[in-house]
Amino acid sequence: MERPAPSDTIPSGALPGELAELTREDVARSLDRSRVQRARGRRSRWYLLWLLVGPGILAMLGENDGPSMISYTATGAIDGIGFFLPFIVVTFLMAIVCQEMCMRIGAVTHRGFGQLVRERYGSSWAWLAAGDLLFTNLVTLIGEFVAIRVGLAYFHLGAGVAALLGVILVVFALSGGRYWRWERIVLGLATFNGLFLVCAILVRPSLAHLGHAFVTFSPLPRGSFNELLLLLASTIGATVTPWMVFFQQSASADKGLTPRDLRQGRLDTIVGGVFAAFFGCGALVAGAALFGHGGTSVNGFAGAGFPLALGHRAGGTVGTLFALGMVEAGAVAILTISASTGYAVGECLGGGTSFNLSPRDAAPFYSINVLVAAVAAAVILLPGVPLLSIALNANVLATVLLPFTLVFVLMLANDRQLMGRWVNGLRTNVLALGIVLVVSVCGAAYGIDSFLLQIHVLGGGA
Amino acid sequence: MSSRAREEEDEELIMFLERDQLAADRRRPLPPAEIGWRAHTALWSLRIFVLIVGAMVIYTFCAQL
Repeated sequence: MERPAPSDTIPSGALPGELAELTREDVARSLDRSRVQRARGRRSRWYLLWLLVGPGILAMLGENDGPSMISYTATGAIDGIGFFLPFIVVTFLMAIVCQEMCMRIGAVTHRGFGQLVRERYGSSWAWLAAGDLLFTNLVTLIGEFVAIRVGLAYFHLGAGVAALLGVILVVFALSGGRYWRWERIVLGLATFNGLFLVCAILVRPSLAHLGHAFVTFSPLPRGSFNELLLLLASTIGATVTPWMVFFQQSASADKGLTPRDLRQGRLDTIVGGVFAAFFGCGALVAGAALFGHGGTSVNGFAGAGFPLALGHRAGGTVGTLFALGMVEAGAVAILTISASTGYAVGECLGGGTSFNLSPRDAAPFYSINVLVAAVAAAVILLPGVPLLSIALNANVLATVLLPFTLVFVLMLANDRQLMGRWVNGLRTNVLALGIVLVVSVCGAAYGIDSFLLQIHVLGGGA
Repeated sequence: MSSRAREEEDEELIMFLERDQLAADRRRPLPPAEIGWRAHTALWSLRIFVLIVGAMVIYTFCAQL
């Protein structure tokens, strides 16, 4: 007799005194866990790590997305490497602290962020957090399609191809009905984020300048106080965002991480953060090749923009690799950000949210996943939409809305009833509170200062 | 496959999962946390603050188009 259809439930009888049901989701997850346990039994440390990495690297490299890479490159082109090279590293350290908490909560509770906020603090708070996420994700996804469009424009391909490619990719990655398959497809794509580092090497930066920037955090960027705040807010928004919180916690639970896997989960997060910091710095250093060579004017680019400018300045190979990097950055982020939206909305609705479920059993999860990508794709096809402004402002908006999400992460990570002995320690709490404070101050200072300049309460407004 | 063999296979599979990893257990709601009025007030204050600043950013963005 064949095994029942995956959506059927099977009384397992494995838990005495209780009717436990083995669903398709359970079967898929237990198969993944069986490999983990065998690797642990054989003491194959590297294989075990290979099996358990994923959510951390994807959250970090997913955040090295189109708007972030455009933002880093624009910063390098306008202000040089100076202050921002070490600042990017600092922001990724902040991201590692936040994402480690999300991974730990997901591994200990086996539940996603939206579900936990709904169950512990009520539906209103869960929907408010998910509403913020839906809005910022939609804006960010438009930015991702812009990045793909910018990359493809270098190869003389239009917006229609960019839109179609993004949506097809989401549907293809979802089609397997397995978390493991989805994760490995996105991980494979994410390796190409390294193209930005290759670009940085090919533009032959001065090692003395790089070393000086890391040691001194200087020279500081020029420009007005408001421009400095904008750069700070957009750089923070390029490394720590609400979607990463939803994504890593839900993906860790979906992957089936347990408290025994916390060590590998932490390594996954740290390795992801280190790679993302290297590749982000790569985009900054590549952009800095345009510093003093018309880099400021490239900021208002249309079409192929930065790849074309880099091609003229540093050679066609750099332009081509940078264009391909933009396509990769947009594509990976479309996959991870769509997934985080699907997880968030599905968890708030209370339905099934797992790549291990069939589309029939997790209809809201799958449909939201595709719908947000399709809506964002449609926007880039509209004529006259200020796509580049949207892409650059997506990070700022994420920074402004982030403190609300981070406070709930902190509350969950300190919930002893939920987390038991894996509750936050004093050092993590101090670091996390400091991060919430820095993010709040940067976001609020930029928002308030820009608004006051705009309505001419402060001098020098638009 | 006989039902006995299938049961054995299921038992083997379920061994690899922690009990609260089962889909049925994950869908069982957790009890709500108790948060006092001070925490509620702080959360609502943060919420309103974030919304006001968010509105300022969106206004500035639209005005600069």
